[in-house]
Amino acid sequence: MSGDLYREQLLDHYHNPTNYGVLEDADIDIEMDNPTCGDEIHVTARLDDQGQIEKVMFEGQGCVVSMAAASMLTEEVVGKSPAQISEMGLSDVQELMGGVRLSMGRVKCALLALNAMKQGLQEAGKR
Amino acid sequence: MSLDVPAIRAQFPIFERKINGKRLVYLDSAASSQKPQPVIDAMVQVWTHGYANIHRGLYTLAEEATAAYEDARAKVARFINAADVGEVINVRNATEGINLIAYSWGEANIHPGDRIVITEMEHHANIVPWQALARRKGAELAYIPVTDDGLLDLDVVPSLLDDGRTKLVACSVMSNVLGTLPPVTHVAEMAHAAGAIVVMDAAQSVPHRSIDVQTLGADFMAFSGHKMCGPGVGILWGRRDLLEQMSPFLYGGDMILTVKQQESKWNELPYKFEAGTPAIAEVIGLGAAVDFLSGIGMAAIHEHEQQIVAYAMNRLSEVPELEVIGPGPTERGAVVSFWLPAAHPHDVAAILDEEGICVRAGHHCAQPLHDRFCIPASARASFYLYNDNHDVDVLVEGLHKVVRLLGR
Repeated sequence: MSGDLYREQLLDHYHNPTNYGVLEDADIDIEMDNPTCGDEIHVTARLDDQGQIEKVMFEGQGCVVSMAAASMLTEEVVGKSPAQISEMGLSDVQELMGGVRLSMGRVKCALLALNAMKQGLQEAGKR
Repeated sequence: MSLDVPAIRAQFPIFERKINGKRLVYLDSAASSQKPQPVIDAMVQVWTHGYANIHRGLYTLAEEATAAYEDARAKVARFINAADVGEVINVRNATEGINLIAYSWGEANIHPGDRIVITEMEHHANIVPWQALARRKGAELAYIPVTDDGLLDLDVVPSLLDDGRTKLVACSVMSNVLGTLPPVTHVAEMAHAAGAIVVMDAAQSVPHRSIDVQTLGADFMAFSGHKMCGPGVGILWGRRDLLEQMSPFLYGGDMILTVKQQESKWNELPYKFEAGTPAIAEVIGLGAAVDFLSGIGMAAIHEHEQQIVAYAMNRLSEVPELEVIGPGPTERGAVVSFWLPAAHPHDVAAILDEEGICVRAGHHCAQPLHDRFCIPASARASFYLYNDNHDVDVLVEGLHKVVRLLGR
């Protein structure tokens, strides 16, 4: 079951994450952690004129699941509106990760980056 | 006095199971131990042939259940050498035992400006109840620090005791993360000399070595049945004179002598602290676990585990960049927590799971201790009487696989 967690595609994103770092002039700047496992993530994002995601970057430390999910999400969400992102859930992240099956304990890891993005967008919307 | 591990393992039905097609290598007994057939049988026996509520019925079944329940209590009392079975209180788990003291003794005896002293190596169960009590009472919560070697910094203790404000010292008899066996009897002597009472969390010790509450130095000691081959019950042992003075923690049936409309009188010890129907079969199962462990011998179990932990620390040093936290093998029990810079503990646990190996990953309910060592989490292997050096070999092999997959 967890066997396919450690296939090449995910390990690639873990070892060489895309959009890793901090974005200058970000509209969204949020840190989130998962205290039960110590995963931490810092997400920065810029919105375009229509309020859609133009670019996202992340940095942090965590397991293969949380880091690979974050890396893949930074590609996936570009061009999406806050409303579209707010509708994304676990199944979308799993699909992004090649349909990987996640044990209950890893669900929070997989959702860390998405939840950070959602909360960041919410906070930006209130400003 | 070496243990016959294959014969011991044969008594635990779970070891017939395969995990991901591999032999089960169970290295998480510090979280909860597996159960041998005699314990399972004892509980099945109660439910199939001898079950009724206790301390009430006048019929045969009720008398049998009551006798079996009280017989189990007597076994536990002998196991920890309690002077008196009335000092052995059945609770849900060690956590509830510590809460009982915090609510009952603590509410009456901790006042604004008092100090409660605990250590940096405590499990959350021996931190949070004292934090909450200190908050409620306007008392101070102070910590005995842990050194870089994972030992208690005893030099600091006098400064925490000398002003006479410390009313309670709570410490673990063995750290569930570092494995450290602090000199608790010495700490208790210092605490008593300063007029404080001593609460010991023995959840990691009672399952693994012989404990004598009459020489340990504790005024209260809590431990859990499920970590010692038994089911999910806990035990709180306390000194009779202190328990006599204390108010009940939970109120209801069985803990009373008489109930009038406006007032009640409390039952004698230990029933004053056992409100409501307890986990009858589980308590009886714990009695069977005590018989099982005593039959093998706590000294032999302890010696076996000391040998494994020394072997494990030696073999783990072969894994590139792996860092063990805590003291050397002679100063620790059968727990080894470690950290691999290249791999998050979750990944370590998940990859080991593919090999049939169960280890714990996370902060093991000891977040302040991980903060102390500046790591977010660790992986932990813990050993018990059914483990052997071959399990360690499989673990080390699995860790090499982790390094191959995740190392750069």
